Order: sequence, then C-alpha cells, then structure tokens
Amino acid sequence: MKQQERPKILVFSTEKISDPAIDMAGLLKLHYPPTVYTITVPCSSGIKPRWIMHAFEKGFDGVFIAADGTDCPYGESCTDKTARVVQMTQQMMQEKGLEPARLKMAAICSVCSEPFVRQMKAFTEYLSRDGN
Amino acid sequence: MRKKIGVYICHCGVNISDTIDVEHVREVISREEGVVLAKDVMFACADSSQKEIIEDIRREGLDGLVIASCSPKLHLFTFRSVAERAGLNPYNYVQVNIREQGSWAHSDNKEGATRKAIRMVRAGVARVARSEALEKTRISAVNAVAVIGAGVAGMRAALELANMGTRVFLIEREHFVGGRTAQWGDLFTTEETGKQIVGRLYESVRGNENVTLFTGAEVVKKEGNIGDFHLEVRIRPRYVRQPCDPEELQKAIDVCPVEVEDEFNFGLTRRKAIYRNYESEYPRAAAIDEKACTRCGECEKVCAAVDLGQKEEKISLNVGAIILTTGFDPYEPQPGEFGYGEIERVVTLQQFHRLLEMNREKLLFRGKEVRSIAYIYCVGSRECAANEKCKGTHKYCSRYCCTSAIHSALTARKKFGDLTVYHINRGIRTYGKQEVLYEQSCQAGDLYLQFYEDSFPEVSRNGSGPVIRVRDFLTAGRELEITPDLLVLVTGMEPRREDHIGDLMKVPRGRDHFYNEIHMKLKPVETVIDGVLIAGSCQGPKNITESVKSALSAASKAHYTLRKGELALEPVLAEVDREKCVWCDECTDACPFDAIQPVEYKGKKVASVIQANCKGCGMCLPVCPQNAIELAGYTDEEIESMIDALAEDL
Amino acid sequence: MNTMNKGSYDALVIGGGIAGEEAALNLANMGYRVLMVEKDYSIGGKMIHLSKVFPTLDCAACITTPKVSEVARHPNISLYTYSEVKEVKKTGERDFHVKVVRKPRYVIEELCTGCEECERVCPVVVNDQYQWDLVGRKAVFIPFSIANPRVAAIDIDHCVLCGLCEKVCPAGAIDFTQKAVEETLTVRTVIVATGYRLFDPLRIPRYGFGRFPNVITSMQMERQLAPTRPYNTVLRPGDGKVPDNIAYVLCTGSRDHTVGNPICSQVCCMYSIKQAQLIMGALPMADVTIYYLHIRAFGKGFCEFYQQAKGMGVEFVKGKIARITEKENGNLILRYEDIESGKVREAEHDLVILSVGVLSNDEITSVFRGDTLETDEYRFIRQKEELSSPALTSIRGVFVAGAASGPMDIPDSIMSAGAASSEAAAYLTGDRK
Repeated sequence: MKQQERPKILVFSTEKISDPAIDMAGLLKLHYPPTVYTITVPCSSGIKPRWIMHAFEKGFDGVFIAADGTDCPYGESCTDKTARVVQMTQQMMQEKGLEPARLKMAAICSVCSEPFVRQMKAFTEYLSRDGN
Repeated sequence: MRKKIGVYICHCGVNISDTIDVEHVREVISREEGVVLAKDVMFACADSSQKEIIEDIRREGLDGLVIASCSPKLHLFTFRSVAERAGLNPYNYVQVNIREQGSWAHSDNKEGATRKAIRMVRAGVARVARSEALEKTRISAVNAVAVIGAGVAGMRAALELANMGTRVFLIEREHFVGGRTAQWGDLFTTEETGKQIVGRLYESVRGNENVTLFTGAEVVKKEGNIGDFHLEVRIRPRYVRQPCDPEELQKAIDVCPVEVEDEFNFGLTRRKAIYRNYESEYPRAAAIDEKACTRCGECEKVCAAVDLGQKEEKISLNVGAIILTTGFDPYEPQPGEFGYGEIERVVTLQQFHRLLEMNREKLLFRGKEVRSIAYIYCVGSRECAANEKCKGTHKYCSRYCCTSAIHSALTARKKFGDLTVYHINRGIRTYGKQEVLYEQSCQAGDLYLQFYEDSFPEVSRNGSGPVIRVRDFLTAGRELEITPDLLVLVTGMEPRREDHIGDLMKVPRGRDHFYNEIHMKLKPVETVIDGVLIAGSCQGPKNITESVKSALSAASKAHYTLRKGELALEPVLAEVDREKCVWCDECTDACPFDAIQPVEYKGKKVASVIQANCKGCGMCLPVCPQNAIELAGYTDEEIESMIDALAEDL
Repeated sequence: MNTMNKGSYDALVIGGGIAGEEAALNLANMGYRVLMVEKDYSIGGKMIHLSKVFPTLDCAACITTPKVSEVARHPNISLYTYSEVKEVKKTGERDFHVKVVRKPRYVIEELCTGCEECERVCPVVVNDQYQWDLVGRKAVFIPFSIANPRVAAIDIDHCVLCGLCEKVCPAGAIDFTQKAVEETLTVRTVIVATGYRLFDPLRIPRYGFGRFPNVITSMQMERQLAPTRPYNTVLRPGDGKVPDNIAYVLCTGSRDHTVGNPICSQVCCMYSIKQAQLIMGALPMADVTIYYLHIRAFGKGFCEFYQQAKGMGVEFVKGKIARITEKENGNLILRYEDIESGKVREAEHDLVILSVGVLSNDEITSVFRGDTLETDEYRFIRQKEELSSPALTSIRGVFVAGAASGPMDIPDSIMSAGAASSEAAAYLTGDRK
C-alpha cells in the first residue's frame, strides 16, 4: 500500500490566485494523483526555504510552488521574489544532496486548472522515474 | 497548544461521502491528540448544523474548530462567523477542503482520496492546535485628506471628499488654481471653456467649509503612515494682499520693470514679475513672481495691496490619506525637432490652443494672418526604435492629443472661417464618441495624410515658414510638399519634469515614468504606499473626463478608508523577533509596502513592522537570514506541523 | 404575481458587471446598504467570460472573481440575481420607489450545493449561451464554472418536465412550483451600471456570419481562448480543424453609418490585438492578420502592447473589408481595399473573426417613470456634465457607471464606477446632515 503512496508532492499554493485553480480542477473532475497535498499561503514569494526543506526531510518527494506570477495582488515583484526563493532553496538542496529538480515552480492563474493538473501528472511521472 | 478541539466532517450530501469514507476519517481523527469531539454531518453549512456546532463549542468549551468540507472560498467566512457567535476566536478555526481538493479531484480513487482526507484533516488539527487567537488591530485614523495639486482632478477630488464629510487640505504649488485646464479654451463635448470649469470649481471649493485651499504651497516633509500622516507645507508669499484695487494693480503691473517669458501662454507672450495669467484668474488676486522680482519696490508705491515684506510660512497638517493630482507637463520638442525653435512659424499644440484663445477676429501669428495650418502628430509620443528620427523614449500614446488637435482645427474654422488644414498623422485615435469630431473635420474639408512608421515628415525652412515633405501612406506613398502658414506640432504629455513630491512620497513610477498604481484593474488609484493615492494625468495621459473619474474614484477610496476615524487592520501581519534580528536590512528591501522600519532595541538596531502598512504577503519572510520574521497564522510551527501531518504514514 | 414590500436600501445598483460591482463595493464600504439587481443568473458581467485582459495579459477571472465574491458576501450588499428592475419612480429628493421582479430559477438557491448531479441526468441539450453557442448545455444547468452564485437553474423554455433532476438532487433543491415574485422597495439613490450589448454581425450580411461557419465573433474567440474554454484548443467550428491563417475584421458594427453606429467602440482594436497574441501562444504556427481602419491603442500600456504584437509577427493591414465569400473547403475569401497600395485585393483565410463593436443597452431607460432618463444621440445614458461630473444623469440622484454611458474598457469602467459611487455618496450625505 505504501508503494502506491509515492511519490508524494507538497504544493504551496496561494489563497487568491492558484487555490481557485486547484479547486476548479476538482470541480471539473480533472483527476490528479491523491498523493498531491496543498498548503495555502498568502503569496508565493513568502514561502520560507526551511518549510520546503522540512517537507523533503519528512519524506515528500517533490515540492511544487504554484506561483502567483503576474496576477499577484501584492504587486509586480512577486515573480522575481518567488524565483529567488526557489533559487535559495535549490542551493540548500544541493548542499544536502537533493536533486534541485525536485522543487518546481510554475505560475498558476486562478482558472489554470488544466495546466495545474498537467503539471501534477508530469511532476509525479518525473519523480516516479527518479527511482521513487 | 489547544487541547479541546472539535472536528466536523461533512458529507455534502453525497458529494464527499461518495468518494471519501467519511465515517472512517471521523473514526481515525477522533483518536488524534487534542480532539475531544469528532462528528460527521450531512451539510455542515446548513442552519441546523451551524446551531449544533455553536452548541457543541459552548457546551464542551472547545478552544479549536476544524471543519472538513468544501473549499474555504465558499464557507471560510460562514464558519468563522459560527465560531465567533459561539465565542471562539475566528482564527482558531481551520477549514479543510476535502471536496474540491479531495472527493472531486480524486473521484477515480476512493481509497487514495480517503487517505488524503485523513492526512488533510490531521494537518488541520495540527494547525488549529498551534493557532493563536488573532484580533483585528484598530488604529485611529484622521478623517482628513491632503489633495496635492489643484487642477481639475484635484479640485474635484477635494469637493467630493468634502461633500461626503471628509476634511480636505488642497495644496497647490502655483499661485493660481486650475492647472492645465485653465490654459485650455473651448473643450470638446461641452459648451464650457476650461476657464469656466475652473472658475465654477474654484467657487465651490471656496464655498465649502470642509476644504482649505493653499496656493503657492508645497509639501516639504512627510512622516507617518496611513491614518496618520504628518505633512509640513511651505507657503510662499504672494506679496499681494486681498482685496486689491484693480486700477492700482494695473498701475503696479505697468510700472514693473521686469519682463519674463509667460509660462501660462507657453512662452508666446511675456509678462511682468507682478502678474495674473488672465483677468478672471483664481484666486482673484495677483501674485509676484519671487524668482523674477528684483525687489525694486516700484509696485509697492502705486498699489496699496502689494506687500514685499511678506514672509514664507510653514504649517503642519495631520491627515489620514494623501491624493496626488499633480498633472503632467506638455512635451517640449527638442530644438530643431520638426523645425521647432529654429523655424519661426512652428508651434506646439498647447501654444496653438493659446493662440486660438488670444486671437479675436483673425488668427494671427507674429503679426501675420494664418490661413493654412499643418499638424504633425505624435510629437514626443509613440517614439519607437524603428525610426532613427525617433530618439526619444516616450513609447506611449498620449491619448488626448488626436482629439485635441482635431478639436482645435474645428474651433479655428468656427472662429476664423475657412482655413486649409492638413493633419499629418500616424493613425488617428479618436476613440469612442470622439470619433464624431474626426468625421466632422473630414466633412469640413480637413485633409488627412499619414506618414510611414519608418519615414517621418521632413521640415525645412522657406523664409520664416516651414516646408513639410511627407510620403503619404494613404495615397500609395505619394511624396507631397506642404507649405502652411503655421505648423502645429501635436505634442503629447510627459510626467512632470520637476517632481520632488513623487520622491517625497516614494511613489513608484512605471515604465513610462508616470506614477504607477498597484494594479490597473484591482487597485487603479492606489499605490504601494498605503494611504497615498494617485489620480488624473500624473498617472498617465488622460483627458478631462478621465482625470475627473479617477479623482472621484480616489476620493471614494480615501473616504471609506477614513470615515470611521479608525482603521481595522487584518491580523495576518508580519512580526519580527527582536532578539534574533541583527538589522541586515534585507526585509526592508523585500517589502513592497514600506512597512518595515528600524527601531532601537536593547542598544541595537532592529527591524519593526509598521502594522498600518503591512499587507501580510510574507515577502519579508524568506529573505531574513536570521529567520527572525514570522507571519501570524503562517508561523513555522503551524506550517511545519502541517507538513508533519501530511507526511505521516497511516 | 405576488407583490411583497421589501423595505428600503440606501442605494440600488442596477447591473452586476464590473462597474456595478465596483460601485456597490465602494458604497457598501462607506456603510451604505446596497441592493444589487442583476438580470442574469450570475454576477460578473461580460468580464467574467473573458480570457485575459489587455494590456497586462492577466487572467480576467483572477481579477473579477475576487470582486464577485466580495460583493456576494459583503454584509451591506443584498444581491438579487435573475431579477429585473421593472420600475423606478422618483417621489422626492433621495426617495425612489422601485419594483423588482425576481424570476423563478426553479432551484432553491439556499439549498443547491452546485454538485451538478442534475446536469448529469437531464436529457435535454441546448446551446450554451455562456459559451456563445459554441457547445451545448443541459436544460438544468449551472451557468458556468465560476458563476456566482454557483447554483443550478432550470431553463424552463427547454425543460421537458421529466422530473429526473428532482429525483436525483441530493439537497432537494429543485422546485417546479416557484413563481415570479414582484417586490416593491424604496431606495435613496440609483446607480445604472447596465453595461452594453455586442453588435450582432447578422446585420452585415456581406460578412457571411451565420451562413459561413468559420466566420465567428470575437466573443466566440474569447471563449476559445479562455482557460474555461469549450474545446481544448482553438479550432474552427465548421469542421473542427485547427486554423493556421486567421483574420480579424475590425470595426464590425462600429464607425459605420450603414448600421447606425458612427462611433468607435474603443475596445475592439485592443481585444483583437490581445487575442492575436494569445492565438500565437496557443498555435505557434498560425498566421494572424488584422484588417483595420485605425489602430486605437491609446491607453496606458496599449501602444507598447500593439508594438509587442507587431514584434510577434501579427500582420496589420489597413483596409476595409468589402465582402467575405466561402470556398468549398470552408476557407474564406476576404475582398478588401488595401489602402497602402490603393488597390482592391483578395486574401484567403481559414478562420475569420469579426471584432464586433459595443452598442448601448438602453432598455433600462424604459423603467423610469415620471422623470426621463435621457440618452445621447447614440442611445447611451446621457452624461449631464461629462467633463466635471461624469456620473450625473438627467435625473438628480440617478448616476451612471461603466459602459452604460458609452464604450469603455475595464480600467475606465472601474474608474467611472468609482466616480458614480462618490457622487452617489455625496448625494446621500445631504440626507444624513
């Protein structure tokens, strides 16, 4: 049974922008693996690298940041700042011997349900191939 | 840690329970530490369930509430209010979305969905156990607004605020109000002239006890934040008291030995150091141009109202919000740009508007009658790299100039009879109802020629007049030569060249260098500096109607923010651990809202969050090398305990 | 019809599009009690159906749904959807008597959870008006996925009364006995935010809309590009082929005396340029040609956006389309006067999009009794003092917001709604004093 529960993905999603898209994926019954879990934050540029590292430590195989992109209600700098979070974390991952590709980021707009599901499927597939 | 947590798992009819084994989830969760009550309900949102939950909270003395149902987008506020009604802090409530992100997303995998639901509810329990009771902070706010710039946008914003019951200080840098609109003559869509509108608004401003107008005044210092700004305003003396006898004033103007370029007429005329721009100008008192005046004292001798002993004043204002309506500058062509400044009979659109107003029977320019006019459009606008003639950086369209130019041609025809008019343009942009002007002008016999993006008209000299050579797109590239009596350069709008106020307010500028709003549609008059709003053409080119609309929008926002005399701040705010902070300054750079400032703490400098400015975005969290900042409701403890619960094996 | 007296509100906002929402929220935030009446099943207006918005290309739903939900849950706003204002009569300063008819949706709004069980069993399929007839929907249906309220409604004209939905509804929300109810209310000010109509291209037969399946409107393309789109990609309706040579015909129904609309619609150039950019993103191999008279790229960031489209390879041809004809393979021949060369030319495209213009939506004027809500020569609500008080109408206390007073893009509509709300608030303040 445990076998089926891999790979596990943690999604950091944002309250106003990517959450609605993920909700709508459910609404439209666009299936994705139930091993994808979501934690909501106000803005993707406020995710601490230590949270991501904590997820890897606790056994998540991949972390996905569903970023606000240009739709961010807190302003234009969000995209750059989120990218910096990813960069910082990937550096920490490398130091710990974790493959940086296990952390992914993509802009998910509030109705981007299909892209979200596509991302989840592809990421799951990638992480499975990765030997999990 | 909260130890008396109640958990409700919703069937949502069959929407959840068809896929998720709700009973199983309930059973697993009931064994979780801290959970004293776990129920499943048919519809958690139903009135009967809400009552049941309230009773449970009260009876069991619950200190945490978790409802696993649909998306928080639908019912977060419903259940927060349930908690509140039961006497529980709404932030000790957590909603777990096992429908949109559970049963519906995984209706193809019942077992998987049930396992996911268990983990999600556990994470909810973990979070609520560590949740803090948060309260909305209330800070007092001054129900007063400083409106900076008394053009048509500023005056309208001031009046509307005053009418809604907010106190207004209207601060104008010049000695006279009206801004650019006062310089305009006839206007499109109304019979009123720019001066008439200005006069009407001025009288209303003066008659309104809620508005205080300062002219010759500039904000020199700004402190504080939304709800409580402190401004220092410097008021320059006008050296002329009111009332002032008109005959004496005329004498004073006559005796003044100093002559300078008249900015009001865009340099077409000259004026004295003691001046009024036009007869009926508001305020209806002359002023002395401080910079030009030599203090010779001649005027003082003939006019009792003149008082060269007046001193500069400084006043302090306390306001809750600031609206910037500082307007624009017309584009000033480079020397030689389409002959400007080198060929005598070349003027800008703004100068032409002044000519139209100043001339009575005949359209005269430098003593010679004008019977033919050529306009070259987009001077200083839509400048592109594609054309080497276009060295400027104004990529934007100035929006008002097509209509304004065409309207000036129609006005000229109406006032001075039949003229020959050439519009040498790059595609006419009379959008919306302004289209009818373009049509009227075509019918009146105006000729339209369009130049190519990569070949601009060439202007050379023929005596004192211009010769224009243009390749016309509309006639398959025919080369044409035009020798009008007057060439009008249709010059667009530029951000104010002299703009210390923008720097003082720290208002960001866009790519076009006009002030930038946070979001064109969501927050169109708000800036990232909370409490500082922008309106009118300081935000980008706009015509009068559009400027007024944005001014009234800003008035509306400012009013509803301040009207209660206090601001309720969302409790999701960043908080700095002062022990850990070493003031590296990273967080101030990351914060787009200017919400972090240094303070002294135990002999060291540490960061401190200005609650009134913090939006709770969390951008400061990841940049702190000391991990000294936490966001309420999203603390390390809460997030990491959720991760633990989600990662846990079943 | 039953008539019920429903008390009083400070403000009545007619229309739940972006302008009405902005005006209602401003007033509600000032502490006024607002009634919003929307004739459609959901608020959100036209904007909620758009793909992305120019010139920032942010997603229309991301911008509009937060406002929509704020309206829906604001304690000071009462929302009547699927309801129509039937009468507004000014009886004194700050005193208007209003009649509103709440039409039956045959679904009890409070009970419906939006689970879609009813849709699954309904045997009737008709054109889906929210996808501009590109696909079908059931007779009982949730208007669209991001509708608010997101509850079902029964299209009684097409319902066969089989009762299947009633049987399957887990919430017992279906109610065939619902009847229209008329309510009378008093309000102290009225904001008209009734928006606009789109030009119906059937009125220009030489463009072949309605006869040639591969001639569609810009709103149909808008739906094809939206994330909640009906097909999974952009395709032409005639045969489902993915188009690779697309034409836009600007000024369809605008700047055209022959259809009685001489003015410019202000948004078509920009939305067409936006769609062209989105098409190039979705179908990288496709060619897009825009036939135009003048490009009206006048607003903040618009001109840069136009240049961006050119840079991406969108073709711009200055010329008026004389006629469109169809070839056997469904492709279309556009005959046009090419202004640059001065010659009449023909070009073949496999999909033609008519960039339809904005017309007034002046039905609302007929509900005003006593005082007349005046319109201008284009039948938009007349602005009494357009320059200095753009929200004033011919009736004191009635204000206009958004495209009800003339063509307007989204930022301008929002600004105009802001103006209407502050003028209305100032008018109401007189009341409080």
